[in-house]
Amino acid sequence: MQLLVNGLIAGSLAALIAGGLALVYGVLGVFNLALGQMVLFGGYVTWWLHQSVGLPLSLSIAGGIVFGGVLSLFVFEVFIRPFYKHHRFLPLVTTIALSMILDGVLLLLFEERPRSILPGLKNTVQILGAYISMVQVVMIVLTFLLLCFFAYVLHSTAFGRKIHAVVQNDHAAMSLGIRAPMMHTIIFVVSGVLAACGGIYIGIDTSLTPTLAFSLTIKAYAAIIAGGKGNFWGAIFCAYLIAFLEQIVVGVQWFGMFTVPAGYQQTVALFVIIVFLLFRPNGMFASASRRA
Amino acid sequence: MPILSLANIGLTIQGHHILNGVSFDVEEGEVVGLIGPNGSGKTTLFNVLSGFLKPTEGSVTFREDDITHLIPSKRAQLGVGRVFQHFGIFREMTLEDNVRVALEAMPKELRNDMGTMEETVRATLEMATLLSHAKQKAGSLSGGQMRLLEIARTLKSGKELFLLDEPTAGVSPKMTHQVADIIGALKKEKKTVLIIEHDLPFIAQICDRVVVLDVGQVVLSGKPDEVKKSKELQEVYFGADPTT
Repeated sequence: MQLLVNGLIAGSLAALIAGGLALVYGVLGVFNLALGQMVLFGGYVTWWLHQSVGLPLSLSIAGGIVFGGVLSLFVFEVFIRPFYKHHRFLPLVTTIALSMILDGVLLLLFEERPRSILPGLKNTVQILGAYISMVQVVMIVLTFLLLCFFAYVLHSTAFGRKIHAVVQNDHAAMSLGIRAPMMHTIIFVVSGVLAACGGIYIGIDTSLTPTLAFSLTIKAYAAIIAGGKGNFWGAIFCAYLIAFLEQIVVGVQWFGMFTVPAGYQQTVALFVIIVFLLFRPNGMFASASRRA
Repeated sequence: MPILSLANIGLTIQGHHILNGVSFDVEEGEVVGLIGPNGSGKTTLFNVLSGFLKPTEGSVTFREDDITHLIPSKRAQLGVGRVFQHFGIFREMTLEDNVRVALEAMPKELRNDMGTMEETVRATLEMATLLSHAKQKAGSLSGGQMRLLEIARTLKSGKELFLLDEPTAGVSPKMTHQVADIIGALKKEKKTVLIIEHDLPFIAQICDRVVVLDVGQVVLSGKPDEVKKSKELQEVYFGADPTT
């Protein structure tokens, strides 16, 4: 049961980040390898506003989210939009460069030591024998509500239909009067906001360190590759699945003989990427609209 | 006053002249066929007219407005509709949603003039003879059905000028008649149609005028019967006769 709860906590974080990334890949077909750093920036800005500036937690979270949106707008306009029309792999190079720049900025501004938005012990409760903190319960519920909101927007509103249209055939969408370039910007900013929410989640649940960025990016990509590139719900499902797998791999005593050291937890996502690219490159729920 | 005016359109990409001084007018309610061999610049010209490519020289005027530098979505909102050679439908969406999204993208003033959304969706699918497939995904349709859906959707979303790129490509002979019928319906509603097509009998049947394009230039323009008999058309398609 504890493994299930741990998987739910880690899965909620991964789902937030991967969901935004899946939308971006579905619409633009580009890779953003600075995603992990964008996640951390959202968390660090919230930490700075709360711990250094002394703003209330709610205002600090709002500040972190707004900063995530502004940062993603900057990233899109400077590192992605000028390049992706020439070739959709060019942003792969530009965002690698950006990730290095942001890594340096994170180290310079926030140093290497762990930063927690809510330091100290958190109240835990026991549910069916598993321990979970109240903060984690709130985060899981908030993630669930956010995903429900996305489900509503994507499937029941005119805006959602326009997103689907742009994802499936952006030229046809434009020829109907849908402003696809504006939708591209909105979707990238939404993905940046979701990434910032992920960073805030990490900063409240545990602590932030600049070295987390790479593994966050890899996990998000594992989820979208396994989920079917560009498939929003496939990515969400696989984000939870990978999180559960990670918990099982290091939490189970295998054959009653040995346990896998916790350090190997990160390799699960890499393993998922390799297996899917080899045996099912279009993912579990292949999207008809975008194939790599 | 013509509804569409092309003045000296030129397009050069990486040193290659794709279009060279293309000029012609299209009158309101006219159905004009655009023909020419592969690589003559027909689809490129459509891309210029719908805003996906910017010409390096010349201008495009639609209803007296210079639209040369407008983005595709803005042109669509002014009434320029495009039907794509490789189907401009949303395959993972239902037929209903394919129509609904087109209606929702219309300018507000036009949307206010139409009936309720559900009535218009229904009328559009009826026009395309696809009402019984309303809840199906568009990807499950045949090529001809996709084409009917695309044309009916473009018509009901308030477009005045239709750019049809090979509407009979990938369509069965039986469905070709239905496509011709729906283009006939556009004509009855006084819509203006510019149509790229390789099927010359089809062009002769539905067009008022034919413009022949070769190596990015207009080489001939006239009534279908005149163009069909002309020596220039033979030369464009088969080369000059060495015996003459």
